[in-house]
Amino acid sequence: MVVPLILTLYGVAAAVLLPRLLARGTWADRAPRLAITVWLASCVSCVAAVVLAGLAVAVPASMVGHGLAHLFEVCAAMLADVTAMSSMDARLALLVSAALTVRLAYCAAVVLLRARRERRQHADMLALLGRHDGDLGAVVLTYDEPVAYCLPGRRGTTVITTGALRALSRPEAAAVLAHERAHLRGRHHLPLAATDAMARAFPRVPLFDRARSEVARLVELLADDVAARRHPRLHLAAALVRLATGRPPAFALGAGGGTAITRLRRLLAPESPLSRHERWAGMAVVAALLAGPAAVAAWPGVSAFLAQHCLEVHDCVDTGLFH
Amino acid sequence: MRGLGELESAIMERMWAYRRPATVRDVLEDLRRDREIAYTTVMTVMDKLFKKGLLKRQPMGKAYVYETVGSKEAYTAQLMRETLASSGNQAATLVHFLERLTPEEARALEAALRVFPVRDRP
Repeated sequence: MVVPLILTLYGVAAAVLLPRLLARGTWADRAPRLAITVWLASCVSCVAAVVLAGLAVAVPASMVGHGLAHLFEVCAAMLADVTAMSSMDARLALLVSAALTVRLAYCAAVVLLRARRERRQHADMLALLGRHDGDLGAVVLTYDEPVAYCLPGRRGTTVITTGALRALSRPEAAAVLAHERAHLRGRHHLPLAATDAMARAFPRVPLFDRARSEVARLVELLADDVAARRHPRLHLAAALVRLATGRPPAFALGAGGGTAITRLRRLLAPESPLSRHERWAGMAVVAALLAGPAAVAAWPGVSAFLAQHCLEVHDCVDTGLFH
Repeated sequence: MRGLGELESAIMERMWAYRRPATVRDVLEDLRRDREIAYTTVMTVMDKLFKKGLLKRQPMGKAYVYETVGSKEAYTAQLMRETLASSGNQAATLVHFLERLTPEEARALEAALRVFPVRDRP
C-alpha cells in the first residue's frame, strides 16, 4: 500500500506546491517555450500520479511480479468478473481512476469541439466580411477599432482591422502579423486548449488554474520572441503600445493586462536567454515530471519481477544446472 | 466547397453594395459580367444565405425579392464584439495580439516606451 500512498501524496503536493515553485524567479520569461513544456508536464504528472495511485491499489504488485502475460490474465479476469476483484478498496480505487480519466477526456472533447465550432463560424463570417490582402498575408476587416488576432486551425488565418493598419506603420504591422503567424505556426492553441481542459475538468486546483493563465501569458512571450527574429524589437514594442492606447474607453474595460507591460519590457530590454546548463536542467525536470509517477507505480512490479527471476537463477544455481 | 464560399461572399458583397432589394435575376446579371454562372446556382446560394439569416426575402410574383438583413458594418461590429469578448475565457478559439487594457495600463505602456527606445534603437 506504500506506492498508492506515495503517488497520492505526490499528486496533492504537486497540485498545491508546484504552481508556487514554478512561478518563482524570472526563468520562465527568459525561456517561454521551456516554461510552457514544464507547466504542461506538471499538469500531466499530477493527473497521472493520482490515476496511477488508483490502479496501484487495484492491481497488487505480487500479480505484476509474475510477468506481463500473467498481468494481462489478471486484468482480463477483472474485466470479465468485477466481483472477483479482491476487495472493496480495490474497486473504489479503480472507480476513482476511471472517473478522473473519463472526466478529463470529456472536458478535453468539449473544449476542442466548442473551439472548432466557434472557429468555423468565425471563419465563415470572415469570408463574407473580410478581404484577403496578399501583400500582408492577412485578412483585412474594415473596422475602426485597432485589432489584430489569429484564427487557429488547419487553415489558420491572421486578421487585422483597417483601424490597426491606420494606427501602425507598415513595418510595425508586419511585426504584429509575424507575431500572429508565430501563434499559428507554433500551434499555440493546443497547449492553451490542454490547460483549459484540465482547469475545467478539475476546477479550483491551484496547479491547473495557474497553468492556464501562465501558458496563455507565455505563448505571447514566445510569439514575440519568434517575431523578433525577423523584425526589429522596437517595431513590435511600438505596435504593442499603439494597439493598446488607440482604443476608445468602451473597449478598454475588463481584464487587466499585466502581460503587456512584461512584453514591452522584454522587447525593449531583453534578458539573456537561459544557459545551456539551465536548459538541460529544465529538460531533466520535464523528464522527471513525466517519468516519475510511472516509475513509482511500476517499481513494486519491477522489483517483484526481478526478485522472482533472481530467485529462479538462484534455484538453478543451487540445483547444479550452471555447473 | 471553397468555390461556394467564394460565391456566397461575392453575392453578399453585391447585395451590400446595392443598398436596395434585388432578385436572383438582378444578381445573376451582375455576376455574369465577370463569370459564367447558372441561374440555379445563384438561386441555391441565395437560398442558403437566406437560411443562414444573412438575407431576408419577400415573394414577388413567381420569384423572391431579397434584401440584406444587416449592413456589412453591423456584421463586422458584431463579429469584433464577439472576438473581443471571447479573449478571457475561450483562449483556444482566438489568440489576440493584446488583451484588453485599462486606461491606466495603457498609459503605463506609453510611458515605458518613451523611456526606453533611445538606448535600444537599432
